[in-house]
Amino acid sequence: MQEALQQHELPAASAVPRKRGRAIVITSGKGGVGKTTTTANTGVALAATGATVVLVDADVGLRNLDIVMGLEARIRHHVLDVLEGVSTLDEALVTDKRVPTLRLLAAAQTREKDDVDTTAFRDLIGSLRDRFDYVLIDCPAGIEKGFTNAIVAADEAIIVCTPEISAVRDADRVVGLLGEDRTIKLIVNRLRPALVRKGKMLSVEDVNGILRLPLLGVIEDAPDVIVSTNKGEPVALDAASPVGESYRQIAQRITGTLTTPPEIPREKSFFEKFFGSLR
Amino acid sequence: MSARRIVLTSGKGGVGKTTTTANLGAVLAKRGHRVILVDADIGLRNLDLVLGVEKRIVFDLVEVVEGRCQVRQALIKDKRLDNLSILPAAQTRDKTAVTELQFAKLIEQLGEMCDYVLIDCPAGIEHGFRNAIAGASEAIVVTTPEVSAIRDADRVIGKLHERGLPLRLIVNRLRPEMVRTGDMLSVEDVTDILSAELLGIIPDDEEVIDTTNKGEPIVLQTESRLAVIYDKIARRLEGELVPFTTFSAPGFFARIFGKAS
Repeated sequence: MQEALQQHELPAASAVPRKRGRAIVITSGKGGVGKTTTTANTGVALAATGATVVLVDADVGLRNLDIVMGLEARIRHHVLDVLEGVSTLDEALVTDKRVPTLRLLAAAQTREKDDVDTTAFRDLIGSLRDRFDYVLIDCPAGIEKGFTNAIVAADEAIIVCTPEISAVRDADRVVGLLGEDRTIKLIVNRLRPALVRKGKMLSVEDVNGILRLPLLGVIEDAPDVIVSTNKGEPVALDAASPVGESYRQIAQRITGTLTTPPEIPREKSFFEKFFGSLR
Repeated sequence: MSARRIVLTSGKGGVGKTTTTANLGAVLAKRGHRVILVDADIGLRNLDLVLGVEKRIVFDLVEVVEGRCQVRQALIKDKRLDNLSILPAAQTRDKTAVTELQFAKLIEQLGEMCDYVLIDCPAGIEHGFRNAIAGASEAIVVTTPEVSAIRDADRVIGKLHERGLPLRLIVNRLRPEMVRTGDMLSVEDVTDILSAELLGIIPDDEEVIDTTNKGEPIVLQTESRLAVIYDKIARRLEGELVPFTTFSAPGFFARIFGKAS
């Protein structure tokens, strides 16, 4: 215990070359638009390129990133344990089952967001940036204390928004709260091209006509995302999945290896749909 | 006689709290009850959009609590249903602008004016959640058949039990064909895990996206199958014993030809 307290700030700092990793918060305002799924898949895809990545679940009290990653059974310690000196950072980091350069730092499930001190959380993200190329922070829904904590140490933000008026309105509010000093990019999630064509869903252009952000990716609504989320197997690792490919391209745009703008999914033809559904 | 004060909550965001509040409110009003809908999501309000009253907001909930206006001045009457009103949240304020005690008093005051107060709770379990449940006499927990939504619902149910609030469950956005293929949890799975009483099952319907964007609750379209489903939920709330619809997955032909309609 005594040893743990001493190690709390930055375990084995001498053994680890200091990096200046990028801290990116994934946020939205509105809940249920796909922040956690986006964090998991972007993280997996980034780590698969060989980068070192840590995913931080900032949703204290309602954590879910561990489930989406399929790591819930391996968690022994969480963010608050580290902040309160109950465990070292290394003890709390869970290594991903599939990608060895990927780690998860889970949120506490039985605590409150008010228990997390904003300054301490900022310092923790700072320590993680010394050790990882990418720190992805999964922000809780809303704009309360949990949001304040999640964005405090991030100098980049990814806004996840679905093509719905309420999601766009909440995203717009969050963009305002993020301020001028952060790089903000947009992922439009759960697009249904067939509904867009029928005029029953906002298009990517509609969404971004309001938000006016650089577009990082467009993810089509696909049932395999629900399945992969329930199973704890991020779809970004599925080489055959078009949605997985969208996430891999998002990762490449983040690293800078891909500079072309995202393709906007179009409606499939009758034959593609027919044969696609028989797969 | 004091109204029933029902909070609609979920833990996880985006499971359909606001849509359910709007539709359940509309259907209760259609059935002759006087209904007031309260948007408790201060700073990220959306209930006004779902009901299409966003351009008619003059005063909001925070202004009522701060005594800047009368409750009646802030209530917006629905244009389609006479006995349906909404109290919008403030958009540019914090959830901490209102205390739990103030919120509870407000709900009590609204309860004197109608038969049902439905409170649309924000996502999460922070200050906004504590406010939203403060004045409620019962709760409806909305969840979807997804592991993460159920885990969050479980957490919220624990908190509602601590308060001694009776609760019932609505399982939203069920996709029967995915349940059949084993790719989605069934309603039985969900109620088993949460061991809560079921109030309703709402199938996933893409029309909801459109009607929500247009600000017109889907229950106002009489030909919609969801109108029938919400009507049953309202009757169960009134105390009637209404059997649950079993959503058997459509067969191969229904899937192929159903899509074309």
